[in-house]
Amino acid sequence: MMWRTILTLGSMVLLVGCPRQALFAVLPNAEGGGVGAITVDDGKTVTALDQPYAAAESRADGTAPSAETRENIAVIFRSAIAAQPILPHHFRLYFILGSNELTPESKCAYSAVFDDIEQRPVYEIEVIGFTDTLGDLPYNQTLSLARAAAVRGTLVGDGLDRQAISIAGRGKRDLLVPTADQTPEPRNRRVEITVR
Amino acid sequence: MGVALWLAAALLIATAGVPRADEVAPIAQIKKVTGQAAVLRSGERRPAKVGDVLLVKDVIETGPDGAIGITFIDNTVFSAGPSSQIALDEFRFDSSDFRGAMLADMRQGTLAVVSGDIARSTPGAMKVKTPTAILGVRGTTFAVQVYGDH
Repeated sequence: MMWRTILTLGSMVLLVGCPRQALFAVLPNAEGGGVGAITVDDGKTVTALDQPYAAAESRADGTAPSAETRENIAVIFRSAIAAQPILPHHFRLYFILGSNELTPESKCAYSAVFDDIEQRPVYEIEVIGFTDTLGDLPYNQTLSLARAAAVRGTLVGDGLDRQAISIAGRGKRDLLVPTADQTPEPRNRRVEITVR
Repeated sequence: MGVALWLAAALLIATAGVPRADEVAPIAQIKKVTGQAAVLRSGERRPAKVGDVLLVKDVIETGPDGAIGITFIDNTVFSAGPSSQIALDEFRFDSSDFRGAMLADMRQGTLAVVSGDIARSTPGAMKVKTPTAILGVRGTTFAVQVYGDH
């Protein structure tokens, strides 16, 4: 009889105080992006979280909104957030018509790219070249890759690791500013650089 | 512009920008390590070092004082706090159209995420599995804690 009472009490405690097994939280977007949003699907219910510090928690009996304060959430995830690497950054540099030479403005903008890379303990760089629609496809494919290669050459010349820089050319297939064929458009004569 | 440059560029077309579908291609790089952190690959555990690349199926682990930050090739960023274990179960990414799929298995610990190109270009394609629920990512910044006692 005594045992039964203890067991019953024990299971009641387990049910009532079901320990939290997981916590899910939306954090304020880094670097001012849009509002974050996640869904939490435990097989029975789907909980949508779409406000900063909105949180849900899972227990054995299901998932429910969490009452954790934003201060507690910040404390719980402090170490994880502190371990966040510098986020990837994107840059665009523009070229003179028909050449792989940067425009004067982009020669200045190049230093911002280099400064960003230098802050990173390790880095990977992707350089993708593009053209406007003047000329045929093969010409622009070659030109776009020459633009990417020229930027890589400059980065390597400034001391960066060639192995860490990948290049590709997309020719006139991916226009930043849509135009008709055979249209000169300075904003389409570009490389897009991702630094991470 | 020299003829040599054009030739070099033409030669490079053959090799550049081709997405690699094979599973041994790197999917992420370790960017930050604090304290004890390790990578479990094919049953072998080795210390995590800044600059090391990660492959699909790798498991990242941190000790009680450890933390690790990694960046995937689709620009998703993971950072894990102490006593964490996260398996990189699935990862596919095509850098030419930014589409792909990603499944991470969060077994315990804390994980902060800033999602990248996969979540942005392919709705529903990025998921984080936990022992109790599956998290679907619409973007971009969120965190998960999984308690280790199960």
